[in-house]
Amino acid sequence: MRKAFALARKDANAYFQSWAGAFAFAFFFLVAGILFSIVVMTYSKISLDVSKGYQETQGLGLTRFIWGSFFANIGAVLIFLAPILSMRAFAEERKQQTLELLFTYPLSDFDIVSGKFLGMVWFFEALFLPTLAYTALLHWLGVEPDWGPVLVGFLGFWLLGLAYLSLGLFVSSLTDNPVVSAIVTFGLLLVFWVLEWVVSIADGPSARLLALLSPLNHYQEFTVGILDLSNVVYFVCFQLYFIFLAMRSIEARNWKG
Amino acid sequence: MDADPAARLRIESPDREICVRAENISKNFGGIRVLENVSFEIAKGEILGFLGPNGAGKTTTVRILTGFFPPSSGRVWIAEQDLARNPGRAKQRIGYLPESIGLYEDMRVEEFLKFSGAMKGLKSAARKEQVAQKIERCGLGDVRKRLIGRLSKGYRQRLGLAQALLGDPELLVLDEPTNGLDPKQIIEIRTLIRELGRERTVFLSTHILPEVSMVCDRVIIMSRGRLVASGTAEELEAGLKKAREILVTAGEPWRRDEAIGLLRSLPGLEDVRVVKEEPDQVSFSMTVPADKPDPRAEISRLFVEKGIALLEIRSARLSLEEIFMRILSSDDSAAGEAS
Repeated sequence: MRKAFALARKDANAYFQSWAGAFAFAFFFLVAGILFSIVVMTYSKISLDVSKGYQETQGLGLTRFIWGSFFANIGAVLIFLAPILSMRAFAEERKQQTLELLFTYPLSDFDIVSGKFLGMVWFFEALFLPTLAYTALLHWLGVEPDWGPVLVGFLGFWLLGLAYLSLGLFVSSLTDNPVVSAIVTFGLLLVFWVLEWVVSIADGPSARLLALLSPLNHYQEFTVGILDLSNVVYFVCFQLYFIFLAMRSIEARNWKG
Repeated sequence: MDADPAARLRIESPDREICVRAENISKNFGGIRVLENVSFEIAKGEILGFLGPNGAGKTTTVRILTGFFPPSSGRVWIAEQDLARNPGRAKQRIGYLPESIGLYEDMRVEEFLKFSGAMKGLKSAARKEQVAQKIERCGLGDVRKRLIGRLSKGYRQRLGLAQALLGDPELLVLDEPTNGLDPKQIIEIRTLIRELGRERTVFLSTHILPEVSMVCDRVIIMSRGRLVASGTAEELEAGLKKAREILVTAGEPWRRDEAIGLLRSLPGLEDVRVVKEEPDQVSFSMTVPADKPDPRAEISRLFVEKGIALLEIRSARLSLEEIFMRILSSDDSAAGEAS
């Protein structure tokens, strides 16, 4: 495991120093910042309206409104972010022909895959910092949210990110071109995103099954502060499944040319 | 070949320790067999040259030896460790410099070596010491802080060697280490390899023949996925039934065809051809099988008889290059007959 950590550290460093990493940072900071400002401004406008009696006060919880809508929207941003973060994992090593070296070092395939995954996850976690800062800022301004649901929201966001990254990791292990990896990952994530809509237009067992497979459906409950174990299990299985596929994919060198 | 080549693949003196043992390794890629029952042993401390034309299966063999992928059948032991059963421990004993080595372009030299050390399981203190030592050993002191992407080909190759040496592996596997270097760099790298060979076993895969005769103790020749010969350069030459090459230089190049006719009329001379033609002289080369008598006296007598000026006549030993070409062409013709 020490070797996997060393590999993860190398990868995370490479993200921080690469244009893709810088772009991901800038993109995420910008979008998260705009989203959060809009949500907060909308909330204050509505509160003003309420205080003047223009609007019903029902269902206007501060935590639910600000963090709920923030998490719900930032989840969609991950569809764009995850492909950029995961595209380098294996595809870049293939492109630079460094994978051969990695495979001949005394590392197990599990070391390699887990190291690669951890490297992306650490970088992704670094992106959390600004969102934590928003929370801290509101706290400093005297806004006291309901901390439980906020933490559940962060947990959901983290799990969703890890799930998307594991899918990207698998796709990256299939190609030697980072751009192809990013595009395919984005395409697959779009399909998963669209799954959520199936529920609204169809009914029946197959529609319900598709709804069960949709990550956003499971994520939704986190955004409103509901911590349901089955949702956590869903995301853990999602990740394990794609990490398993990535392992299989790099093992394929053993039997194909 | 006169004897079963496999017989000479075993190392004669049993008291020498074996570092690498490959037993009947074969490899198929999608139904195409690229390696067929390759077996060989490398003694500890030996520098083995692994020769073959491009496409003979050299890189495939190297990748099997280094554990990049397993053979379709057969087994490999590295220093008594079964590569399939104990990949971790076996790989720990290998330092590998891949052909056209891929390096992390955006890492710095020292940073990359530290990473390699960590991948090889070196703990922090040992890693620091090893990295400093290998930087010194491979002459990377001037570029230790430089980005790998900005290094010259020569430095990249040295860096590749340095990472292979980290952890002091018993076996060094080098795949075409001098490919694409300029002559000065080639000499430097070869000197380095020879020095390294004093302390450890080296497996050197190459298609550059002088490299092998300069650096290696023993040679294995591969052609179309099979081993076709093995031994020291002298043994390989002996294996070709001591064929001798005769070079004849005559004046009066306008009588070239007459001279060729004369030489061809002599019994026992094979492969008579013109090798060099100048305004005032012409040179012929021919081979004589070992069981035929030396024809030089006969040639000179014949030339004098016909009044052709004989400028030079000498018998040359076959260079490794020629041995190589002959072994390959005999292998090709054998394959032609078989099919």
